[in-house]
Amino acid sequence: MSRSNSQIRRREPRDQSPADSSSDELAAGSDHDEAERRRASWTLQKGFTPQRPQKSGRSYSDSESSDELAVDAGEYWRSSRKRNDHRSPSPITRTSSQDGSQRGLNTPQDDDISGPDTQAHDADEWTGRASTPVPPPPPSKPDHLNYKEKFVLRGHLRGVSQVQFSPDCTMIASAGADAAVKIWDTASGRLIHTFEGHLAGVSTLAWAPDGEWIATGSDDKTIRLWNVNTLKAHTKIFDGHHNYIYQIAFAPKGNILVSGSYDEAVFMWDVRRAQVMRSLPAHSDPVAGIDVVHDGTLIASCALDGLIRIWDTHSGQCLRTLVMEDNPPATCVKFSPNGKYVLAWTLDGCVRMWNYVESRVLKTFQGHVNNKYSLSGAFGLYGPSDTKFNVPLCFAVSGSEDGAILFWDIVSKKVLQRLDAHQYAVLSVHTGNLKGKRMVVSCGLDKTIRVFEETGENDAEGDGDSTPVPEARAQNDTPIHDAEGDNAMTDADADVSAVPSTTETPAETPVEEDVTMT
Amino acid sequence: MNLSLVDPFVLAQEYPDTLTEKLSSGHATCLSFNHKGDYLASGRVDGTVVIFDIETNGVARKLQGHTRQIQSISWSRDGRYLLTSSQDWKCILWDLQDGSRIRTVRFEAPVYIAQLHPFNHLLFVASLFEDQPVLVDVSSPKPIKRILPSAPLRPTEDIDPATAAKQAAQDAKHSTCVTIFTAFGNHIIAGTSKGWINIIETQTCTTIHSMRLCNGVVILLHLASNGRDLLVNSSDRVIRTVLMPDLSQLGIDLEPASIKLHVEHKFQDVVNRLSWNHVTFSSTGEFVTATTFMNPDIYVWERSHGSLVKILEGPKEELGVVEWHPSRPMVVACGLESGCIYTWSIVSPQKWSALAPDFGEVEENVEYMEAEDEFDVHPAEQVHQRRLDLEDEEPDVVTMDSVKGEDVDGVEPFDVPVLLDVEDSDSGEDVVAVGPGTMRKRTPGARETEEKDKVTNGRKRRR
Repeated sequence: MSRSNSQIRRREPRDQSPADSSSDELAAGSDHDEAERRRASWTLQKGFTPQRPQKSGRSYSDSESSDELAVDAGEYWRSSRKRNDHRSPSPITRTSSQDGSQRGLNTPQDDDISGPDTQAHDADEWTGRASTPVPPPPPSKPDHLNYKEKFVLRGHLRGVSQVQFSPDCTMIASAGADAAVKIWDTASGRLIHTFEGHLAGVSTLAWAPDGEWIATGSDDKTIRLWNVNTLKAHTKIFDGHHNYIYQIAFAPKGNILVSGSYDEAVFMWDVRRAQVMRSLPAHSDPVAGIDVVHDGTLIASCALDGLIRIWDTHSGQCLRTLVMEDNPPATCVKFSPNGKYVLAWTLDGCVRMWNYVESRVLKTFQGHVNNKYSLSGAFGLYGPSDTKFNVPLCFAVSGSEDGAILFWDIVSKKVLQRLDAHQYAVLSVHTGNLKGKRMVVSCGLDKTIRVFEETGENDAEGDGDSTPVPEARAQNDTPIHDAEGDNAMTDADADVSAVPSTTETPAETPVEEDVTMT
Repeated sequence: MNLSLVDPFVLAQEYPDTLTEKLSSGHATCLSFNHKGDYLASGRVDGTVVIFDIETNGVARKLQGHTRQIQSISWSRDGRYLLTSSQDWKCILWDLQDGSRIRTVRFEAPVYIAQLHPFNHLLFVASLFEDQPVLVDVSSPKPIKRILPSAPLRPTEDIDPATAAKQAAQDAKHSTCVTIFTAFGNHIIAGTSKGWINIIETQTCTTIHSMRLCNGVVILLHLASNGRDLLVNSSDRVIRTVLMPDLSQLGIDLEPASIKLHVEHKFQDVVNRLSWNHVTFSSTGEFVTATTFMNPDIYVWERSHGSLVKILEGPKEELGVVEWHPSRPMVVACGLESGCIYTWSIVSPQKWSALAPDFGEVEENVEYMEAEDEFDVHPAEQVHQRRLDLEDEEPDVVTMDSVKGEDVDGVEPFDVPVLLDVEDSDSGEDVVAVGPGTMRKRTPGARETEEKDKVTNGRKRRR
């Protein structure tokens, strides 16, 4: 793991509740100014951390309900006075952990902590926030994710370039440098079929929206379609690009396929006729990323020339061009689920989320290593779906060239989870939802495909906090899932009786099935 | 999603101006867009129905079942079902999910026009050639046909017997040429061969109002999407727009006796006295479009002033059916001679500033004022950090904006499944191989190229 990564990881805990950050600090590295700041945070946290288990229930503290009448009058008065003092514009400031600590010890530091509004925190996240625990909003927003490895799918003879869940998530399709396209059963991890026919490595694949066909683009300059139900290849081959196919995407109705190629063009194909419908005079370098928005009206393309272009599907005209000033090669682009933003991977080690209407970067996600390969990722949802948040909880996920998979919170840009999953670069990550279970699948240069499943809160308590040994790289035979110490507490106030996270539970080696298929 | 990026001036243009596309698959005689506007169904002289995908301009599906020319096509609201009527005395209700026929209804005469009920795809009205129009309920495999009256409703009181007898004799000569449903489907509007408009209650099949509109035969009725404007083409070479009362208020605020149809505009060519082949409203009902007899032009009138705003030109042949896209400024029409489908729409120029983000398009020269800090040099790290610190918004990447105009009725729009072998789904009826590589031409013109395509495809497949 690179240095920069571990630093960012270590920086995260301080943004969380005092209890779990301290657990991490104990085991953290030796960087000098890091240590300085840590010491500062320590002195602050020491005071009230032990109070945590004793705090009275959260039922009244984070809701302004009539329950409050039931508590001791003195306490109520104190907390309500504080409430008035701060006049925070958002109702989100008060949380159980905060209240618990404040009630125990009403120090001036506490005022500093709960004073600023949550929104204000975002601005000075990297500086002022370092020593202060952030009060999570009342419907507490999970501060980490807990994906656990479920399967390791083996079978590709060379690196696997892309994986994707089928639209109903029951199958996984993978494409590899060995020119093979494989489909796997998501529930069992079994290999269903291997499609062979491409004459060179396959770089990209896309499921048709009806889930019946897979399209694959290869270095043999062709795009082929494979039927998942009949397990046969389509008789028509999409032939027209003059160079390797880099990435392809289906329009939501499945009637149009968009492809980007090393020949610097973007082709829109009429899928029914297997003919080029329109060629977009796109870029001056290989077109690495293609995506189509959910209603099919826009196409996004990005290329190694660093430009991200937004096209009108109907007219074939370029509507916007997005670019960072030093033109880092852009290797992948994805529309957000609602189509208002695009996520773009660039070889300067950043994933940026753009508001393409205003041509403005909204968020920059960092922490992964990306300076050589075209990595691709996805959006995903997390947190309880029934709870109402200001904005739905959403993460962006990407692989990293050091073998990790990173999940970032869209709003705070924090790393929610870091899975040290693969041995070498993780080329593609995709999210899905099988019968209510949130899943992630990844593939990489180590020839494996790995399937992860989001695990519940209870499991998380058990194996959430292993000793933070970031350097312990998961070797691909025995995947260690959790080399991560960040997720000590699942949820700041999900469980009042939670063991203080300073007590360390040994890392469990998860039960995993290692499915090998040839 | 593209609306926020498209040039507002392009969006503001309401009617098309350029011939952009020519679709051909056989000799088309009638056209119909689905409600969402992504598919165009065309009926051919040979009885085949071809569904075009407007996004790709390719054939999405071919439906084989009729043996004679298709007369009319009507889409269900969700776009899944299609009712076709033909000169082979049949109406067929198709399910586009798999292209199967749900119902086939036979009549005693060729069908002139059939239209589906706006909300119930198992109910339709059909006007028959020289026969009484029928309301057909196909909810069970055995269709229930109810005959609709053609005779106009006459005032019953104080008419002397002689006049009554005369009227009865006249009424017997009425035959209904066209029937359509009102917006809610509670009533049927019928046009007769004597120029009368009858309003018939769907429930009871009784005429509740009649009005003499013109002297000629009522050829076509078309209701605007708002349900209140009726377009009438008649053989007296005048296109009329009629303001309809709100029939949903019938029995509440409106008595059948007080229904009044009010003619708003009469469009005609005063000089040449052209007759009109086919007429249609624009998507909003603001424009009236008509194709003319013996003339390759399409006239576009604007309704608020009743003035001619545009003549669409391009093809060299006389045009038949003309249809307007349900949401875009796009007009399609089919050529009478070749059976090709022509489309007119708006072509907007590429904006160069969209290609290069550093450039802007200005109308005239602007003196550039350099900002004070424009060329200040900051360490890259610092710039990067500052930029990161500014990213403090809370974007919502999941919640969709509800798009105006889409699924207003809460109907889940249906997407025709993408068939990768549409050509193969042809049962070969229109390809008649005479010898190796030579095809017998059934229709002249554009059909030829298509058939050639098929030959090459066939060869490839055989290989």
